[in-house]
Amino acid sequence: MATTALPQRGYLHDDTPNLGEWIRSWLFTVDHKRIAILYLLAINFFFLLGGLAATFVRIELITPQGDLMSSDVYNRMFTLHGVIMIFFFLIPAIPAVLGNFLMPLMLGARDLAFPRLNLLSWYLYMFGGVFALSAAVLGGVDTGWTFYTPFSSTYSNSNVILTITGAFIMGFSSIATAVNFIATTHKMRAPGLTWFRLPLFVWAMYATSLVIVLATPVVGIALLLVAIERIWGVGIFDPALGGDPVLFQHLFWFYSHPAVYIMILPAFGVISELISTFSRKRIFGYEFIAFSSMAIAILGFLVWGHHMFVSSQSVYSSLVFSFITMLIAIPSAIKVFNWTATLYKGSISYRTPMLYALGFMGLFVIGGLTGIFLGVVAIDIHVTDTYFVVAHFHYVMVGGTIMAYLGGIHFWWPKMTGRMYNEIWGGISALIIFVGFNMTFFPQFVLGYLGMPRRYHVYPEEFQILHVLSSAGATVLAVGFVIPIIYLMLSLKTGRIAGDNPWEATGLEWRTSSPPPTHNFEAIPVVTTEAYAYPPEAAARDAAEWRPGSPL
Amino acid sequence: MAKTSTSAGHGAHGDGAHSEHAAHAHISRGTYYRVFAALMVLMALTVGAWWIEGIVALPRLLGVAIAMAIAIAKTTLIVLYFMHVKVSERATQLYAAAAFIGFAIMVIITMGDYFARGWPPPPGPLP
Amino acid sequence: MATTTPTTPTATPAPAHEHGHEAHGRELLHHFESAQQQKETATLGMWIFLVTEIMLFGGIFMAYIVYRWAFPDVWAEAAHHLNTPLGAVNTVVLLVSSLTVALAVNAAEEGNRRRLLTMLGITLLLGATFLVIKGYEYSEKFAHCAGAANPVAWVTGGARLGESECLVPGRNFIFPEAHGAEGAEAGHGTADSYAQPQAGLGSPYQLFYFLYFVATGLHAVHMVIGLTIVSILTFIAWRGVITPTYYTPIEVGGLYWHLIDIIWVFLFPLFYLVH
Ligand code: HEM
Ligand SMILES: [Cu+2]
Repeated sequence: MATTALPQRGYLHDDTPNLGEWIRSWLFTVDHKRIAILYLLAINFFFLLGGLAATFVRIELITPQGDLMSSDVYNRMFTLHGVIMIFFFLIPAIPAVLGNFLMPLMLGARDLAFPRLNLLSWYLYMFGGVFALSAAVLGGVDTGWTFYTPFSSTYSNSNVILTITGAFIMGFSSIATAVNFIATTHKMRAPGLTWFRLPLFVWAMYATSLVIVLATPVVGIALLLVAIERIWGVGIFDPALGGDPVLFQHLFWFYSHPAVYIMILPAFGVISELISTFSRKRIFGYEFIAFSSMAIAILGFLVWGHHMFVSSQSVYSSLVFSFITMLIAIPSAIKVFNWTATLYKGSISYRTPMLYALGFMGLFVIGGLTGIFLGVVAIDIHVTDTYFVVAHFHYVMVGGTIMAYLGGIHFWWPKMTGRMYNEIWGGISALIIFVGFNMTFFPQFVLGYLGMPRRYHVYPEEFQILHVLSSAGATVLAVGFVIPIIYLMLSLKTGRIAGDNPWEATGLEWRTSSPPPTHNFEAIPVVTTEAYAYPPEAAARDAAEWRPGSPL
Repeated sequence: MAKTSTSAGHGAHGDGAHSEHAAHAHISRGTYYRVFAALMVLMALTVGAWWIEGIVALPRLLGVAIAMAIAIAKTTLIVLYFMHVKVSERATQLYAAAAFIGFAIMVIITMGDYFARGWPPPPGPLP
Repeated sequence: MATTTPTTPTATPAPAHEHGHEAHGRELLHHFESAQQQKETATLGMWIFLVTEIMLFGGIFMAYIVYRWAFPDVWAEAAHHLNTPLGAVNTVVLLVSSLTVALAVNAAEEGNRRRLLTMLGITLLLGATFLVIKGYEYSEKFAHCAGAANPVAWVTGGARLGESECLVPGRNFIFPEAHGAEGAEAGHGTADSYAQPQAGLGSPYQLFYFLYFVATGLHAVHMVIGLTIVSILTFIAWRGVITPTYYTPIEVGGLYWHLIDIIWVFLFPLFYLVH
C-alpha cells in the first residue's frame, strides 16, 4: 500500500570513506538489520565450531575402542559440542538472526523498540562466546552441557567456571533480545496491525520471548551458585555440606525444559510462514496456531521434571510431570495438523525453503512422538541416558530447529541480500541434509533402545555397525551443511537480483525494497487485511497455469 | 481479547498511542506520603511481630505467614503506587503480575517434589 | 476471533514520519511516532527486565525455601547471629529512599527541577548509607573470622573474640556452640538429626550463611548499579535534560530502584526475623 520500492539505498549500502569508518559502521550500528547480519556471522561461526566437535565425537565412535581420544578428552569434546550448540547456536539462532531482521519489518516499525539494547545483546553474546571458547582452549569442560552437581561444583577438574560465566553472559544476551521483542510487539505495530493480523512468526517470537524472560534468569542464578560453590569451596548443592544436588536439577530444568521451546517455537513460526507462502493459501487455523504457541510457552513451565525421572525425584511428582508432558504434546500436534491442512489443495511449489519445511514436519513429528515415549515414566526409566534420548532431541533440534533455520535463511535471503541463491544447489543440499540427518540419527534410536548409553566412548562390539552407519550419515550431513555456505556466499556476487517480492508472499517485509532501506519503510504502512491474505482462488489459478519447468 | 478490539477499533500504532486514559492518570504527592506512612506502619508491625514471637511461643508457621503477609503487603503498595502500576497500561500490569506468577509456579512445583520425597533422608545406612 | 473483531480500516492515514527533528523534541528517537509511545515503551521494557530480575532472585529464594523447610531449627538459631537492629534500620533507609524516588518522579513530572535534584540527592545519600551499614555488618562477620571482637578491633588489633566463631562460609566456617536445644520438637522430624550443633563447614548452619551472603551480596551489587543509575539521572537532571514532557529516564530508573527495595523487603524478614 503505502510502501513501494522507491530507489532508496538499502541498509547494506556502504558510504564510508575508509576502512576504519566501515568497521565502525558495522560494529556500532544500531540498525536491527545490520545487527542481524552480525549475529548471522557469529552464530554460523559457532555452528561450525560445534559441528567440528561433533565430528570428532563421531569419528571416535566409529570403533568400539577408545582409540582416537581418552575418555577424558571425549567428555570434553561432547561437552564442547553441547554447550556451543545449545547456548551459542540453537537458542539464539532464529530469534537473533531472523527475528532481529524481521520483527520490525513484519510489524511495520522502523526499528526495534530499544536499538542500543539490541546492539548490547550482540556484544554480550560475543563476550559470552569468548568465555566459552577460552574455556575450551584452556582445556575444556567435562560436565556435559547440563553441569550437574555435585560433579560440576565439587569434583570436576575442568574449566567449569569459565564456561558457566560464558553461558551466564549469553543468557543476558537472550534476555535483551526478548525484552526488545516483547516491547516492540506491544508498542510498535503499524496502524491497523491488530494482534490477530500479526504474522504467526511474530506470535512465535512473542511466545519465545516470554519464555526467555521468565526462565533464563533462573538458570543464571543456578549457574552462579555453582560457580560460587566452586570458587569458595562452600556448598549449597553439595550433600556433604547439607545441600541437595537435586535442587540444582530443579533450577536447571526449570530453565532448560522451557529452553527447548525457546529453540523450537521460533522454528514453528518460520514453518508457518513457509507453508502458507509455498502453498499459496491462507494458513489453516490461524488462531489455533497462534494460541498453541502461547499454550506451549505456558505449559512448558510445568513439565521440567520429566528430565528428572531417575534423579531421586519423588515418584508422585514424576507422575504429575509425566501427565502434563502428555498435555504439552497437544499444542505441538495442533500446529502440525494445521500445517497439513494448509497444504491440502494448496498450490505447492517445491522451492528450497519449502523442502526444508516439509522435512521439518516429518522429522519434528518423529522427534515429538519419541518425546512422548520418553515422557512415560516406565519407558523413560528404561531408555534414559541412552542414545534413544540423544536421537529424540536431535530429531527435534536438528530436524526441527536447524531445518527451520535453514529454510528461513533461504526464504528471506533475497530480502536480506537482495539476491537469489542458486535454486538447484539449494534443492540438492536440502535433500542431502534430509538423507544425512536420518542416516545419522535414526540408528541412534535403535542403539538407545538396545541399551547403548550416552556419553561413553567405548562400547560393545555389537553396536559397531549402527555407530558406523551413524558416523557415515554425519559425513553426509556435514556435506549438506557446507554446500549452502558456498552457494549462499557466491550468490552475494552472482545471484540474480531478487526484486522486492520474489515469492509473491504477503507480509509487510515483502512490501519494502530488497534489501530494505535503513529505516525500513518510506512511509509506515497501514494494514487492512489479515496475514496470509492469499486470494482464495490463488492456488487453483496457479494449478491451471502450471506448466513443466515453471518455477512455481 | 479486550485489547485486540480496542487497538483494532482505533487502528492505532501499537497498543499505546491511544491510551490517553492511562497515560496521564497521575498519582499525587499526598498519596505518596500516605503510602509511605502505611509502609512505616507495616515495618513496625513486622518487627513487632518478631519481637512478640520472641516472648510468646507461636507456631513457627504462623510467624512465617505473618512476616510474609506483611512483606507482600509492602510490595503491593510499592508496586501499585510508587511504581505506578495502578495507573499503567494493561501490558505493564500483566508483566508485573507475570513475574510473581512465574516464581509461584517454580516454588509450588519444586516444593511439591520435596514434600512428596521426604528430603533430607534420615542419616545412617540405607534400610 | 480475528474475524469478529470490529475493524475500521484506518480512516486517517498514518502520519508520515518526518526525518529531521523539527517536528518533535530532540529526545524523541526516530523510530517512535510520539513521545507518549516512547515513554510507554520504555516503561514496559523496564518492567519486562524487572521480571527477569525477580526471577533471578527467585532462584535464591527457591533455595532458601527448600533449606528453611528442611532445617527450621538451624535457621532459627543461625539467624540470631545477624544484627537485626541494623537490618531494620537498613529497611527503613530503603523505604525512605523509595519515597524520595517516587517524589523525584513527581517533581520531574511537575517540572520542578530543584525538588527533583534534591530528591535524587537524598536518594543517593540513603543508598550510600544502606551500603555503609551493610558493609559494617559484613565486616563484623569477617572480623569474627579473624578472631577480633568487632571491625574496629580488627583494624586496630584490639579486643579479641571470646569463643571462636566464623560465619563466613568457607573452609574456616565455624558456628559457635548452640545455645540450648530450642524447639527440638518443632519442625519436621527428619531434620532434627541434622540440627545437632555441628560447628564446621559440614553443618547446615553454613547453608544459612551461604544464602545470606549470596542474597544480600547480589542485592548489594544491585544497589551499586542502582546508585550508578541515580547518579547519572542526577547528572542529566542537573544538565536540564529532564522536562515535564520528557522525564522517562527518571521514571524508568525509579522503577529499578523500587525493585531493589522490594527485594530487600523480602530479604529482611527472611534473614533477620527468624525464630
Ligand atoms: C512433544 C514434545 C516433547 C516431549 C514430550 C519431550 C519429552 C522429553 C523427555 C521426557 C525427555 C527426557 C529424556 C530423558 O532424559 O530420559 C526429553 C529430553 C530432551 N528433549 Fe524433549 N520432548 C519434546 C520436545 C522437545 C523439543 C521440541 C526439543 C528441542 C528443540 C527437545 C529437546 C530435548 C533435549 C535437548 C533433551 C535431552 C536433555 C538432556 O538430557 O541432555 N524436546 N524430552
Ligand atoms: Cu523437556
